[in-house]
Amino acid sequence: MSKFEPEWVTPDEWRNKAEALKNEGWLVTDVCGLDARDLGFEHRYESVVQLLHRDNRERRTVHVAATGEPPTCPSVVDLWPTVRFMEREAYDLVGIHFEGHDDLKRIMMPDEWEGHPLRKDYGVGKIAVEFIPQPFMQIDAPGQSTMQGESRARLDHLGQVVEEPAPAHDEPAERSEEQTR
Amino acid sequence: MTMTHDVVERFEAQGHGAFVESYDPHDERMTINMGPVHPATHGVLRLLLVLDGESVIRCEPRIGYLHTGIEKECEDQNWRGAVTAVTRMDYLAQLHNEQVYSLAVEALLGIEVPPRGKHIRTMMAELNRLTSHLVWFGTQALDMGAMSGMFYGFRERELIVDFFEMITGLRMNNNYFLPGGVWEDLPDGWERPLSQILKIMPARIGEYEELLSENPVFIERTVGIGAITAELCDAFGATGPIARAAGVDWDLRRDAPYDSYADLTFNVPTTDSGDVYGRYLVRMAEMRESVKMIEQLVDSMPSGDFKNMDPKFMPPSRAELNRSMEAVIHHFKIVTQGYTVPAGETYRAVESPRGELGCYLVSDGGTSPYRCHVRDPSFVNLQSLPAMVEGGLIADLIASIASIDPVLGGVDR
Repeated sequence: MSKFEPEWVTPDEWRNKAEALKNEGWLVTDVCGLDARDLGFEHRYESVVQLLHRDNRERRTVHVAATGEPPTCPSVVDLWPTVRFMEREAYDLVGIHFEGHDDLKRIMMPDEWEGHPLRKDYGVGKIAVEFIPQPFMQIDAPGQSTMQGESRARLDHLGQVVEEPAPAHDEPAERSEEQTR
Repeated sequence: MTMTHDVVERFEAQGHGAFVESYDPHDERMTINMGPVHPATHGVLRLLLVLDGESVIRCEPRIGYLHTGIEKECEDQNWRGAVTAVTRMDYLAQLHNEQVYSLAVEALLGIEVPPRGKHIRTMMAELNRLTSHLVWFGTQALDMGAMSGMFYGFRERELIVDFFEMITGLRMNNNYFLPGGVWEDLPDGWERPLSQILKIMPARIGEYEELLSENPVFIERTVGIGAITAELCDAFGATGPIARAAGVDWDLRRDAPYDSYADLTFNVPTTDSGDVYGRYLVRMAEMRESVKMIEQLVDSMPSGDFKNMDPKFMPPSRAELNRSMEAVIHHFKIVTQGYTVPAGETYRAVESPRGELGCYLVSDGGTSPYRCHVRDPSFVNLQSLPAMVEGGLIADLIASIASIDPVLGGVDR
């Protein structure tokens, strides 16, 4: 096996490079979202593209940096339709936005999910997993409570919201007044 | 045929491969959900179908119902322990998952597997291909109305699964390969059950072919159904038997050999039809090739170590633990803390029963994977389903799903 030498490109260079690679006959085999927080790369979020050239029996790896907030890089779904699911997966799990992807939505997680589980600051094992319409909280700092919102919607047996949750700071005085009457 | 050309023209003309049709509520089209719990979707695949009577106008796979977060799980395990997690992804090709992960870790470590370890791995992976193709055979026949195919397929699979139990201790999710070799050597007397399996398999594969290859009902349901071209396979990234049935002559075992495949002589079966029947022929021929490969491997099984015994990352053997205190300390350290892998990244791929199974692995120099991404063939192959079924009938959709052979544990990971 040849030595593994990845290349790094910026989002602006990637479209031109991708078109050149496509014309040379390279096929994309994999797109992977990478949160390089602890790796000391220049950019934190990257989309790592694996390419294969069948005739030359070669593989190569291109790191495409995703810059900005939210992290964004250009999509290549028009060149290689196979990346449609892969870019959706990278968007869902790492939160990289692919500009030009026509159907960028969650693929693994439920549509109403908040946060991107494969990010390194996503709290593991600290969040109660409940499939209810309650907004999902992402923990960034240790010690932060998951129960901060305290806005639990009441559900019926089908999981539908029966009544809207009460505001966080309800007026308890009024209620006690009603009770006393 | 017209539909696939239509799809090619669409993605070339519009610049994308979208299966987008305008939806008109005034005509008699109906949008229905097939799955996620449906006997013909092989797990929890959900298809959003737009139907005009019996014909499928549009098909959109919705996945994620079996998402188990195994990639995240790997980041919490040490390098050895992550094998336990990855083996549960594509549960019909468990040893291929372990193989590709182990190859990736070995590439990062820069270590070699001894010849016996390589041979054992290759042999077990080919047996796993047989079990996986037998399940495909059973489900394909069952979905085409031939219920006895299911019984025949599982009858032979049981023999091989019993052999797995003898070697690894488990029937499925074997957790047998590890970075550097395999977990345990082959036990005494392993050749006898295997030689019986190898003796009966060619005859049994002949039985299956007798059952289906010339069967008029089966031919009616499969020939010309779900056909896609080689260009579409490349566009949608379809690999494995789907691509080989469409005439793409590409097999990683031959074209990018890993483990012991370079020592073996075998053919890569291909057809040009690209339809469900072509995939049936390719998989049947692959089963025969697998039997031949296992025979070669059994005949040439070398002696020696079955795993790389470098003490830096391999715990000492059980016998040594009884004699030496240092060995116990060493064992404790490797098992609890694990070994470190130099910082870097790699991508390795193997030919799983469903196509290219890749593993992109990043290490930050610690004792657990920094990022372990798996390119699962079922996940990618599923994208070619709309191109296969749009314009056909619902009954043909069932045949196409069975011929893709998706494993939803691998699709959703």
